[in-house]
Amino acid sequence: MFSKKKIIIAYTVEKCKKCGMMRKRKFTEGDVLFTESSNCTSCDGMTSVEKIFGETIE
Amino acid sequence: MSDDTNPLMMIIWIIPIIIFVFYGQRIQLYITSSEIKKAIKKLDSFKVESRTELINYIKTNLKPKDDLIKKIDRFLDYFTIMPVDMDPNGIIDKVRHTVRSREDYTREHVKLLSPEISNLELTKVQTLLELASSLQMIYKIVNHMYLTAKKQNNYPLILPLQILLPFIMEQAEAMKEAIPAFKAGQPVGDGIGSMVVGKMMLDSKKETVAFQTVLAKTEFENRTLFLLKAEGPASTVGRPADALETIVSSNKLDVIIMIDAALKMEGEDSATVSQGFGAAIGGIGFDRFQIEAIATSNNIPVFSIVVKQSVKEAITLMTKEIADQADTVSSQVYEMIQENTKEGQSVLIIGVGNTVGVTQ
Repeated sequence: MFSKKKIIIAYTVEKCKKCGMMRKRKFTEGDVLFTESSNCTSCDGMTSVEKIFGETIE
Repeated sequence: MSDDTNPLMMIIWIIPIIIFVFYGQRIQLYITSSEIKKAIKKLDSFKVESRTELINYIKTNLKPKDDLIKKIDRFLDYFTIMPVDMDPNGIIDKVRHTVRSREDYTREHVKLLSPEISNLELTKVQTLLELASSLQMIYKIVNHMYLTAKKQNNYPLILPLQILLPFIMEQAEAMKEAIPAFKAGQPVGDGIGSMVVGKMMLDSKKETVAFQTVLAKTEFENRTLFLLKAEGPASTVGRPADALETIVSSNKLDVIIMIDAALKMEGEDSATVSQGFGAAIGGIGFDRFQIEAIATSNNIPVFSIVVKQSVKEAITLMTKEIADQADTVSSQVYEMIQENTKEGQSVLIIGVGNTVGVTQ
């Protein structure tokens, strides 16, 4: 009766192949593990998807 | 006169006893049925929701030409008759044949809905179809058991259902919650094995070695590593046993290491990593049988590393805790290779599990 509804939010972690910087953002349709994702924000390298996971919010 | 000898009090005591002797089972049946009725209502809503989600997904992504709803309903009603097991000799081949025929049939008929469908979408629709069809089957069976007990006014008949219902509901809820992950092509907990091996084979040349299964060859400290997984990012488990047969026919393997998700026991922490012996692979059993048979006839030891998780975690979006274990599993694989092989030997590493959202 008092159980709270749990919401799962999907996140994608990107890792720069050049400087190794990691960035966590919300999952977007089309994200696939280990594929190239976007340009690195701290260097001119490319990032790839390192992890995709869900976190539960109550 | 005390209460004990008062005839009125005696009647008040005796009447409920008589009622319970003659109608006890029926009363229990009414109490239990209200709980079961609630569960059946929930199962019915899961069944309807999964069907609607499937139809909407196909309508939006595949733009089918023909009458979709009739065909989908026919698929959902499909059943599989398992081979007779009175004579178990050769039953593995029969089960494999039946299951694969069903998979092939579904694949071909989903293709007919939209001939231009990509392989990725095809596997997603196949998985969604399996989920919706399983939820429909669960609803039908539970409803049948409940109605039969009610019709016969037979309380013992409802007992097995009452005992099994919490487990059935856990499975059904997991299946219902798995739908969004498969629709979005997100990795699920079961994909941890594929994730580890997929990362290991990133810079190597890949080749298709069996249906929806890829193989890569690499080196590690003067050992040859054969890396095997289902072909991602499609929603498939591939055919690792068929692949093993092909690999063994042209290579000498010294060790097989299998990485998979495993169901945790109550009280065990989720995402714990364990090592063991034997083929770590789920399913009906014919893949495990085939792997064990090949390993035995070629005298290859089989080691396994598993990541513990619940039923729900295994088929829904991978949790952070499970994803964070990928590097731990990877380092354990390399340790296992160092400890169990010598230089010049060959190791096959199989990433078992659904590879949705995991490329290689």
